[in-house]
Amino acid sequence: MNHQTHAFHMVNPSPWPLTGALSALLITSGLTMWFHFNSMTLMLLGLLACIMTMYQWWRDIVREGTYQGHHTPTVQKGLRYGMVLFIISEVFFFAGFFWAFYHSSLAPTPELGGYWPPAGINPLNPTEVPLLNTAILLASGVSITWAHHSLMEGHRKHVIQSLLTTIILGIYFTLLQASEYFEAPFTISDGIYGSTFFVATGFHGLHVIIGSTFLTVCLIRQLLFHFTSKHHFGFEAAAWYWHFVDVVWLFLYVSIYWWGS
Amino acid sequence: MLGVEAQKPPKGKWTTAPFDPRFPNQNQTRNCYQNFLDYHRCVKAMNRRGKSAQPCEYYFREYRSLCPISWVQRWNQQIQDGTFAGKI
Repeated sequence: MNHQTHAFHMVNPSPWPLTGALSALLITSGLTMWFHFNSMTLMLLGLLACIMTMYQWWRDIVREGTYQGHHTPTVQKGLRYGMVLFIISEVFFFAGFFWAFYHSSLAPTPELGGYWPPAGINPLNPTEVPLLNTAILLASGVSITWAHHSLMEGHRKHVIQSLLTTIILGIYFTLLQASEYFEAPFTISDGIYGSTFFVATGFHGLHVIIGSTFLTVCLIRQLLFHFTSKHHFGFEAAAWYWHFVDVVWLFLYVSIYWWGS
Repeated sequence: MLGVEAQKPPKGKWTTAPFDPRFPNQNQTRNCYQNFLDYHRCVKAMNRRGKSAQPCEYYFREYRSLCPISWVQRWNQQIQDGTFAGKI
């Protein structure tokens, strides 16, 4: 009978890296078709392929870890490294947009009137909806910590309640931010102010949606009894990601909404 | 030689723009723009108080020597059209 004499997981051959790469090709070329030739078909095909890849790839990881027991402590350590490195790469991603914002706002050009916010821009009041959004994300950070402790203590009902609270707060944030986007007196094409504002907050909003989705998957897995009090890395990864999203918002709020007004 | 007279500099004291420690670096855009703004603000303030705008001459000469003429023309046109972005 064959058995491995090491703690690592030699993954079975999988088609999902290939379909993921193909979806990337379709999305990028699809963007070109959309921008220049007025057709969304290729891009939608690519997005569909991407979503299917993500669903099936992560489903397989859950099968390998939870159902087949391949996630030894050593394997889990590798997954932790992976998640940490990914989040670090996301930090650098946002650092670029903050650099762009500060580059333009610390030395406003004569075209803007030499001051920030530029001529003609009425920024959003930071003490209104943006402050509420800050409170929402901070509260969601508290609720997810509650969820984690409940999970470690084996308190199933509390895990479900607190995880649900976190997700609802995330959705509330998204809805409020969407309404702000709709009601804002300036658009993305309103000079460098519009560009820096909407690209930075827009990517943040996308990350909130991604984080909320990740948390929802965790909720479903919790309902299906996947997590134990000792082994629940999927949840921890989601929690790390959620805290990262919260921290990015705090930087956005202080820099763009508050100082930038 | 088009006449010796024409090649002599015009009479009067001509100095270049002095060093302004507010703008120590190579890029002097802000120096030009700030003096342009200051001249117009000075003129506006003096006119509001009914005084002569003579002291504002300094800013005028500063921005005239520092700024590219095309910028000055563009900004003056914007002021006329009411589209100038600066606060004067």
